[in-house]
Amino acid sequence: MNKTSTAQNEEINEILKELVITRIEATMPSNLKLSIGTQSGLSKQQVIEHVKKGDDIGRQVIQMHIRFLKAQATGEFVRALNSVEDD
Amino acid sequence: MTKGIIITLPRYDDVTEYISQFSKYIIDEAKNRGILIKELKDKEVTKVHLDKILNGIRYKMVIFNGHGSESCIFGHKGEKIMECNSNEKLLSGRIIYARSCDAASKLGKSIIEHDKTGSFIGYELPFVFYHNPQWEANPLKDNVARIFLEPSNAIPISIIKGNEAGYAHHNGRKLFLKNMRKSLLTKSVEALSFAEALWTNYIGQVIYGNEAATL
Repeated sequence: MNKTSTAQNEEINEILKELVITRIEATMPSNLKLSIGTQSGLSKQQVIEHVKKGDDIGRQVIQMHIRFLKAQATGEFVRALNSVEDD
Repeated sequence: MTKGIIITLPRYDDVTEYISQFSKYIIDEAKNRGILIKELKDKEVTKVHLDKILNGIRYKMVIFNGHGSESCIFGHKGEKIMECNSNEKLLSGRIIYARSCDAASKLGKSIIEHDKTGSFIGYELPFVFYHNPQWEANPLKDNVARIFLEPSNAIPISIIKGNEAGYAHHNGRKLFLKNMRKSLLTKSVEALSFAEALWTNYIGQVIYGNEAATL
């Protein structure tokens, strides 16, 4: 990989992190904790810190957001929701 | 194989405390139906103890609560209690439900390769849930955690009620979707976060092996 594409990938990763952090800030309540993977009960601030660092937990959180965004973009999410009836 | 259940109930952090406490509903359902159940609690959830129980008690169903990785399920304080190419053959021919991150992807597949009469229901992605720390001392009162843990409880409960493993798996996934719908209809700020986490559990839940297996 040349220097330009490495720099571009890093820039995309940073944009991705920013997007995920914006989503967490907007939707994760401060009074709740998130458990993901082997990580027990993370506060909103801790989740954001992991995403900023890009460690294992941060990557798992980013992947969770990307999977959800993809499902929305492809229509898979709406199709799945419409497949079940309300009680 | 005897109609009975072996269940692991480690409790040493928030995740294990919550999933083990919520297992009360599974245990109650089994007991109410007169189904034999062997509970491995806290310090008992070790590899040595589990191997002994699996060798000595031929109960048809095994339920794992605990952290996981692609090739392992962990017990008390993160001890590996079930692992690929180690003791996985002890699960051959049984119905397994593993409420553990990622364990379906390698361990689950590997168990079923030994004996396709059994079935493995689990997650090939991290199992995700939110909880309200206000209820950490009494998880069963935590209605946030309930949104995530009830659909997963529904899988073994459905099998206990006599349904096939395949039906229980599909019904459990449907309940994740129902809770997504309910959550989004509240139009609350957290609804999107909840839907995102439920979606991960929904797409991560898989079944391998015999979908017609019953207890």
